[in-house]
Parts: sequence; structure tokens; C-alpha cells
Amino acid sequence: MNAVIKLAQLETKMFFRDRLSVFWTFLFPVVMIWLFGSMFGDNPMGNFTFAELFVPSWIGVNIVTTSFFTLGTVLAGYRETGVLRRYQSTPLASWKILAAHTVQGTVIFAISAVLLMVFGMLMYDLHIPEYIASTLLALLISILAFFPFALFITSLAKNTQSAAAISSLFLNLMLFLSGATFPLEMMPTVLQYVSKALPLYYVIELLRGTWNAGPITDYGMEVGILLTIGLVSVILASRFFRWSDK
Amino acid sequence: MERVISVEHLTKSFGSIQAVKGISFHVHKGEIFGIIGPNGAGKTTTLEILEGIQKADGGVVDVLGLNPSRQLKQLNHRIGVQFQATSIQKKMKVKEALDLFSSFYEGASQKDELIKILGLEEKLNSHFNDLSGGWKQRVTLALATLHKPELLFLDEPSMGLDPHARREMWSMIRMLRDQGSTIVITTHYMEEAEKLCDRVAMIYGGELKAVDTPKELLNNNAAHYLGFESEQLTVDDLLIVNGVTRVEQEHHSFKVFSDDLQNTAYHIFSHCHERDIPIHNFKFEKGSLDDLFVQYLKKEHAE
Repeated sequence: MNAVIKLAQLETKMFFRDRLSVFWTFLFPVVMIWLFGSMFGDNPMGNFTFAELFVPSWIGVNIVTTSFFTLGTVLAGYRETGVLRRYQSTPLASWKILAAHTVQGTVIFAISAVLLMVFGMLMYDLHIPEYIASTLLALLISILAFFPFALFITSLAKNTQSAAAISSLFLNLMLFLSGATFPLEMMPTVLQYVSKALPLYYVIELLRGTWNAGPITDYGMEVGILLTIGLVSVILASRFFRWSDK
Repeated sequence: MERVISVEHLTKSFGSIQAVKGISFHVHKGEIFGIIGPNGAGKTTTLEILEGIQKADGGVVDVLGLNPSRQLKQLNHRIGVQFQATSIQKKMKVKEALDLFSSFYEGASQKDELIKILGLEEKLNSHFNDLSGGWKQRVTLALATLHKPELLFLDEPSMGLDPHARREMWSMIRMLRDQGSTIVITTHYMEEAEKLCDRVAMIYGGELKAVDTPKELLNNNAAHYLGFESEQLTVDDLLIVNGVTRVEQEHHSFKVFSDDLQNTAYHIFSHCHERDIPIHNFKFEKGSLDDLFVQYLKKEHAE
């Protein structure tokens, strides 16, 4: 267990040594909220305010960036440069590596989520989640769905570049088609169906819902879908885990 | 002598390519055992089978009384591996890496001793990526030996090092042997095999060509030759002399290989005497492992 904690600590430290990833993970979403806020900040959107809709969705988007970039692409790089291979001849088991990176990803995501919430409260009078225990549980379920999902998808890549390309594709697809940036009601019916095929859609529904409308028990279908994605991804990710590309 | 590794009739193929073709050898406790051969000879594949990373297709492999591919977990507690050209996290500091890898093993870590032996103090706060090739090799050597492994695998440990750094690396490897580790090392530097290894296995084309001490290998006549300098002789002149099998020329100096060196020497001298050709620096040479190796390769091509 000691090794898992050490590795998670070190990976977190090393994350902060890379200024670029710090910017993209922590500041970029804040800038985006601010940008959208300066466009629609003052108009209520249906029954909710701008921040009530946008802050929970960007917290959701941050789960995607953390899982695909902080976890997936980094591990693909470790596979390519032989970092994982070096672990292979030590007693460190593969599940411990994945566990350590999951802990690191959770810590980094939590920081970014708190930043976004505080920014929303200061700038747009956002309230803390109505059903805070439900929101926390929703976040946990979303992490459990997305981390293994991204780890599996990026492990199919041959190298860091293609892992980053796959990650960007998924991120952009979900960013624009999951209701995070543009309300789904504005889109053609076909795209509305597409968005329901993207896992981020359910994360956003769940986060917006528990933040503003009702407890997690009202969202059985979303929870079910996300847990299924998580379970299937864990099986696939561990079945296809590779130490190196050779 | 106690055997640490025994390999019998080992085979391994990748698709239609047979990388290892029925190799057998033993490694004794406490020795530095070299596996030498040109690139693509099957050295790394053999090493990876011993480490349990690759699975053998056929044959029997016993490492520290374990079956490497089936008992990898137990094996990993007792061996240390320095891979060829792998990296650790770029932004990890040397002291962090030592600390992290120490936490993988149950017993006490000899981290502090290694920092002293390998002279790592001044680099403890450097990021791995900022180190030169020689320092990177030292760090990865340290990571492989933190737990005082009974058996240490080093894959091309002095690749890319300058001659000075290479000599330093050798003395560190000897020091680890003196601490009680058995060391298996692959290399394509013949000088390294000659000066560092207690015994050497020569592999070429997936087959074992010879196993012995470097000294005994060099007593093999195949590597012996006549060395001399002459400004007027040509390779063609020498090839027709009695018994000559091969001639190497570099500028005015010649290496003449023959089945019977004494007889050939007599004929060269009489050839030159009759024609009044001066020759200088005439020597009977034992040759190096390099020469022996080239000799094996030539024979292979001839057949």
C-alpha cells in the first residue's frame, strides 16, 4: 500500500511541475466559464441561472480532461518510453499503478472542481449544491465511469501522439455534443440522439440535476448507465493492460 | 559450483523468425556472466526470457530455482533489471526515484550505500531528464540494485557511454559482484566482455557458438594471427602463401590468419627474403574477442 501512496504523491507533484498541464487543467475551464459568462451571464436560462447550468457541466468536462489527458495520455507516454516496462521487473503489481494514477487523477480533479465552484460563487452568485451528498456521490460515480473508460481507450494507442489525438477527439466531441457548452434544445434532433450516446451527457445530467433540482435517487437511469460504463471499462482496461508496445 | 541459472535447449520464435535456436548454458553464483553477439543475435530475447518477461517456446529455464514466466512475482523480489534504453518519468528527481523504488521491496533498502558508491549525491535533486547518458545509466543501475538482488540483469549497460564513463561503470558492476550479486550482462562491446566478464557466452543467429572464460576463448587458435607492417606487400601476395586462410589489411599493417601460424610465418619470411621486401614489427598475436567474433561470422558466411 505504501508504494501506491508514494507513487500517487509523486505523480501529483510531477503534474504540478508541468506548467502547461496546470494551465489546461485548472485555468482553461475558468477562462471558458468567464467567457461564456460575459456572453450569457445575466440572462436566466429556463428555470436556472447561467452558473447553475455551466459550472456543474464544466466540472463534468473536467472529469473528461483529467481522465483522458492527466491519466490516459500520460500512461500511454509511460508505455512508450519504457517507464511501465521498468516497473514490470519489480514486485509492483499493475493494479497498484492504475490505483495510484486514479488517486492522483481524483486529487487533481477535486482541486479543479473546487476552483470552478468558488469562481462561480464569487462571480455569478452560484449556490453550493442543493443536494451536496448526492452531488459528491454523482462525482464519484462519474469518476468511476470515466477514468477506466479513458484508460482503456488510450491504451489502444500506439504512442503518446496518437493517444493525445484520440483524447482530443473524444474531448471535442463531448464538449460540443453533450450539452456542456451549447444547450441540446438548440440542436437538430439527430444530434440530440448522438449526444445521448456520449457518456458525458449522463454525467452532466446527473451533476446539473443534483446541484439544482433533486437528489441522486431521481436519476436512476444516469447512475445505471455510468456504472455500467465503469464496470465494462474496468474489465476491458485490465484485460488489455500492456506494459510495453513490444 | 552452485548454479543460479540453468538453461537447457531454449527456443523462441517471433512469427516465422526463430530468434533463439536451442541454447543451453549455466550461470554460477557470484560470477559476471556475459552474453555477447552482434545486434539481433538473440541476446535481449534470451535475457527477457530469464527475467520472465518473455515466455520460452521450448526448453527448460530455471532461475534461482524458479520458473521465470510462471513465478514472476517471486522472482521479481529477488532479481534486479536494468533495461536497455528505458526511461523513468522525465520530471522525477533522482532522490524521488530512489525513494519510490525502495518502497516496492519488503526488505531494507541499500539506498544510502548506493548513493555513496555511485556518487549520486550531487544529482539527487536533478530531474531525470536533465541528466546525461552516463548519469542516467547510474541512476537506473541504482534502481535495479536497491534491494540487494541475488541476481542482476544488465542489458547493454555501457551503451552510449564515453570510454571513461564505461570504465567507471565496470568498476561499479565489479563492486556489486563483490557484494555478492550474480550478474548477467549483455553487450556487443567485445572489450567489455574481455575485461569485465568472468565467463562469456557468444551468441550469433540465435545459436550459442561458445561458452568459456574470455582467456580460454582467446586461447582458441581461430583468433590467433600474425601481425606485421610492410609497405610493399599486398593482400594478394599473402593469400597465396602456404596455409593462409584470411588477410586483413589496414593501411600498411596486416593481420594474417592461418591454420598453422609457425609454418605460414616461415613462408612469409622466405617470400620476402627472396624478393628483398622489408617487413617490420612482426608479432604472433593472440587476438581479441573481436577477432574471434569476426572469425566466427566469416565461417558462418562461408558455410
